[in-house]
Amino acid sequence: MFKAKRMHPATILFKFLQALKGWFFYFVIGFFAVRENHFMYFLLIVIAIVILLLTYSILSWIRFTYRIEQDELWIKYGVFIRKERHVSKNRIQSIDLTQGIIHRIFHLAKVQIETASGGTGAEISLQAVQYEEGKRIRREFKEFTSEVDSTDENGMQNNDKTYTITFKRLLLAGATSGSAGVILAFIGVAFSEMEQFIPEQFYDSMILWVIGLSIIFVIGLVIILFVVVWILGILGTVVKYWNFTITKNDEELFITRGLLEKKQLTVPIKRIQAVGMTESIIRQPFGYVTLFAEVAGSTLDQGEDFSTVLFPILRKGEVEEFLQHLIPAYSLDMKEITQVPKRGLKYYLIRASLFFVLLSAAMIYFLPQLSWVLILIFIAFLFLGYFRYKDAGFSLDKNRLAIRYRKLSKTTVMLYPKRIQALEKKQHILHQKEDLATLDIAIIGKMGAGKHYKLKELKEEDVHRLAEWYSREVRR
Amino acid sequence: MREPPKNRIALDAIKAWKITAIIYISGLWLLTIGTGVAIYIFDFPYWVTMIAVLISILSTYFFVFVLPALRWKRWRYEIFEQEIYIQYGIWVMTRTLVPMIRVQHVDTKQGPVLKKFRLASVTISTAATTHEIPALNEEDAGELRDRISALARVDEDDV
Repeated sequence: MFKAKRMHPATILFKFLQALKGWFFYFVIGFFAVRENHFMYFLLIVIAIVILLLTYSILSWIRFTYRIEQDELWIKYGVFIRKERHVSKNRIQSIDLTQGIIHRIFHLAKVQIETASGGTGAEISLQAVQYEEGKRIRREFKEFTSEVDSTDENGMQNNDKTYTITFKRLLLAGATSGSAGVILAFIGVAFSEMEQFIPEQFYDSMILWVIGLSIIFVIGLVIILFVVVWILGILGTVVKYWNFTITKNDEELFITRGLLEKKQLTVPIKRIQAVGMTESIIRQPFGYVTLFAEVAGSTLDQGEDFSTVLFPILRKGEVEEFLQHLIPAYSLDMKEITQVPKRGLKYYLIRASLFFVLLSAAMIYFLPQLSWVLILIFIAFLFLGYFRYKDAGFSLDKNRLAIRYRKLSKTTVMLYPKRIQALEKKQHILHQKEDLATLDIAIIGKMGAGKHYKLKELKEEDVHRLAEWYSREVRR
Repeated sequence: MREPPKNRIALDAIKAWKITAIIYISGLWLLTIGTGVAIYIFDFPYWVTMIAVLISILSTYFFVFVLPALRWKRWRYEIFEQEIYIQYGIWVMTRTLVPMIRVQHVDTKQGPVLKKFRLASVTISTAATTHEIPALNEEDAGELRDRISALARVDEDDV
């Protein structure tokens, strides 16, 4: 069918940039280390390395070929050691197309082919092929191929099988994403690191200048900084989730998103291990949630707590309808929730304030004048512990289990018993006297590692009930 | 999960664990002696040595004489046709259920200490977790491994 083909020459650029990125750090260090003394030698070495990297990139592009034969994808690669890999059609779980900015300029796409082997295993990645070629590969290996083109602007209204994020929602998602806090923290850390590079004198005069300003001006400055960072956070979300569309096609969910970097990913419904929603502390008061799925073996979308986002923002009331339309086997509507008994509360409070003890030790040592803040923080942690206690629980259906817990955000997850790889009951000595027990269930997570859901200090009796529901034989 | 699993692991496990513990603890003693010598040479206050020795004695007592026996007493397992059921843990007692159809592979493993007592451990892996039954008699371990892998062969097409 296809002849052996090379990827688009732009691949050289990608490989080269990638290799360069790895070396960049050493170049910078080297630059500061040699300064004037042996600058010529340094420059020569750098040029030599760059040329080597470039040669290697070109060679590895030349030596990488792929072709499609008898429902199999064959790749042949390796500059010195030749390797060949065949992946047959019925082993392929999903084919994802991604377009970064450079891809978009040349009208290319990155093709990622996932098989069932979790994570690091036999997964093929074509760094850059013509976009049309990428679509053709996908058509070749997947009977269904959604013809939802990501550039198509018509799919704005939600029909039965397609949901697209509206711009208003997108802004809301950005505004409540909480990334402002993260960015601020990042700036704080970066600034404290910068401190050592800023000349002492400049730093002192800067401090004096700030102190000299009126307090109102300083507060105004902080507010402006916060707003700027907040807007940056909104922009980040808008760019990432731009035109987020999820479509159902037979046995697959098809997701496209992104403004600068366009992503198209397929989620085989059969590979979904659990479906859940997160109510972050910022969104919870407004009644908005994020919907996600745990998908076995997929490696995409890292940095999102390793879960695949099914929809970035939904009203809590819309969740059931959404699931009905897209994955009707799942529901996050919990009935008859079994909660943690009152005698479990003390453990939750102690655990939550344990971190506080460390924090306060550090604070009293470094910033003794701010000790009064500790009381506020202490109360905040106690509240967190209390809400963790209140939110923890599970509800058992005939063949479905829903679990709710809170770390910082409140999370509800639903899964089927056949997805649970192992179930554990844990009791430490104090628990045994109070008939309390901790439940730990493991499902397949990303990258071949397990994902554990824990519910702490449930009634021992409730854990037994759950074990009986799960067990085929240990019913005693 | 109300009743513990039925089978205990081999009694020799206690001896094997004691020897392993002694090997680790001897490292601690070497460190203690080293500290003692350094303190003697450099004339540091010698109560530091006292504390180090005390810590070493206490850990020897706990890790060599107390814990192995307790650990053995808690360790139990039972293999059903469709399930593996194990119990372990001194401070935190854990009972684990692993359905046979979730088992991906079973291994037996034997280090030098276990070999001396003709013991072996069985490791059971699922797609998400691994579980180990330590220190069974060699024959029992082999038999168990074969039995589990035979029972686990019931395959389900989806993951």
